[in-house]
Amino acid sequence: MINKTVVLALGNPLMCDEGIAIEIVEALTADAGLLEGVDFIDAGCGGMTLLHYFEERDKAIIIDCAFMETEPGTIKRFVPDDVTSVKKLSHHSLHEVDILNVIKLADQMGSCPGEIVFYGIEPKSVEQQQNLTDLLQGKLGEYVEIIKQELVS
Amino acid sequence: MSKNININVKHMTRIEGHGNIVVNASEGKVEKVEWQVPEAPRFFEAMVRGRKYDDIQTIVSRICGICSISHSLVAIKAVEDAMSIKVSEQTDKLRLLMHFSEQLQSHVLHVGYLVAPDLFGAPSVVPLVGVAPDAVKTIIGVHRVANQMSEILAGRVTHPITVIPGGFSKVPEEAQLRQLQDLLKAQVEPLLAIVDVVLSVAAGLPAFERDTEYVSLKRDGDYTFYHGDIASSDGPVKPVNEWESVANEHVVAQSTAKWAKWNRKSYMAGALARFNNNAEHLSPLGKAVADKFGLVKGCCNPFMNNVAQLAEAAHVVEKSIELIDELLADGVKPEEVKVTPKAGKGYAAVEAPRGILFHHYEFNKDGICQGANLCIPTNQNHANIQLDFEAFVPQFMDQGEDRLRQGLEMLVRAYDPCVSCSTHFLDVQFV
Repeated sequence: MINKTVVLALGNPLMCDEGIAIEIVEALTADAGLLEGVDFIDAGCGGMTLLHYFEERDKAIIIDCAFMETEPGTIKRFVPDDVTSVKKLSHHSLHEVDILNVIKLADQMGSCPGEIVFYGIEPKSVEQQQNLTDLLQGKLGEYVEIIKQELVS
Repeated sequence: MSKNININVKHMTRIEGHGNIVVNASEGKVEKVEWQVPEAPRFFEAMVRGRKYDDIQTIVSRICGICSISHSLVAIKAVEDAMSIKVSEQTDKLRLLMHFSEQLQSHVLHVGYLVAPDLFGAPSVVPLVGVAPDAVKTIIGVHRVANQMSEILAGRVTHPITVIPGGFSKVPEEAQLRQLQDLLKAQVEPLLAIVDVVLSVAAGLPAFERDTEYVSLKRDGDYTFYHGDIASSDGPVKPVNEWESVANEHVVAQSTAKWAKWNRKSYMAGALARFNNNAEHLSPLGKAVADKFGLVKGCCNPFMNNVAQLAEAAHVVEKSIELIDELLADGVKPEEVKVTPKAGKGYAAVEAPRGILFHHYEFNKDGICQGANLCIPTNQNHANIQLDFEAFVPQFMDQGEDRLRQGLEMLVRAYDPCVSCSTHFLDVQFV
């Protein structure tokens, strides 16, 4: 049975702060009390597969490292209507996905959750490295608390 | 007819690299044709150095979100080769089934989300919904089942967690396999509906041919994705542990990605290569799909790679149904795996959806990785894309700049290059 709320972590833990969402979801899933009624998914770099995680949900919370022109470490809550994508796609390959386009597609197919919330976290560094920067590592607990608050609100 | 052409398609920053297309012609004379790949190197080989043999697949599965199963499987095979680990028949079959799920996922997505919009004249899959809503719904439905299949076998849809050296950390329950088999049987009709939709617009695939060397795995009596030797359509066959002398990776000025060549200046890897080397072993349904499009062994039109992908999608559905029958007949049981690490070198190859994928690792006596070499199919295809470009431009340049650019972009899409999927889905501006 599918839970009505899903928390989706996007990113790659081999790319330094790009893996922040995965770390947050791992910390959240370690907290068993939170599991009831919520699915936590490490969606990695699954591309269009995201479409299927939206199906039959009332609410999706998407966490990702995001370039938002803010101070590194900033966490920002927003909804799809608050932003436009400035991502340039060549449409050459399945390997490039714009999450806002996936949401558009889900909407057109009638499978979009009623509520979608983004938590974007401004990275300090996106490079080949398996650990977060000290800055984001130090703020991990704070981010986890913010997502917990979103889930109980 | 346009005599002057200036195409310069640039899409990327260094982090989010994809290819550039550059064509210059003056007074009807082609001056420059280049497929450039300014992708930043990703250093995965350095990342696995110093890591334990049983961590390798987890790390390399993150190289790619679309081909994560292929990377996991080829890594685990190379580790097992280095440690002289033999796996059971059950493990081999379950892994093959997992591998099929990724072929189905990737092929359906590629043809449905990237190629179909071109053929329908839509800029991407989002506006395609307005033009062909039923087709998009069908594509999404088959893709969903392929995802479920990955989840049952790999533990989750992307980046597998059940694969361990010597076997599986968790095998699927027989009831799950039965359910999966029913789902797969129900996909035959929608898959054929997708085939018919693509067939209805297949006239849009450019009639372009260039004599090409095709490289893929090959095994007697099998349309293989997972076992066998490395074969060229030119004749030579080599064992997998000699893959470095097949790829012959080399550096060129126009690309930060390495290029590959074997018996000629370039070769093609991917569905069309597999088809050209193994077509006689396709399943009946796969053959029927190829026949519908008139795809025959020896085809050297790279755009037909998309058709070969559809034939393979049908093949893997049919073969998966058979494989589940075999697994259920034998009974699926958890198997205990004991591995004692030892020093050694390991080589492996599997067919990722977009072509043959090679890994090589070296371990010390404690099973700590001392070195690695990975060669992805897209890198093997770059040189071939360049040579296709050089033949395509003179042939199609009288169609004008816009149509030529569209043709070249479709050509790149036909290869479905895997350039980089490691970085940010979100690059936004607040409104």
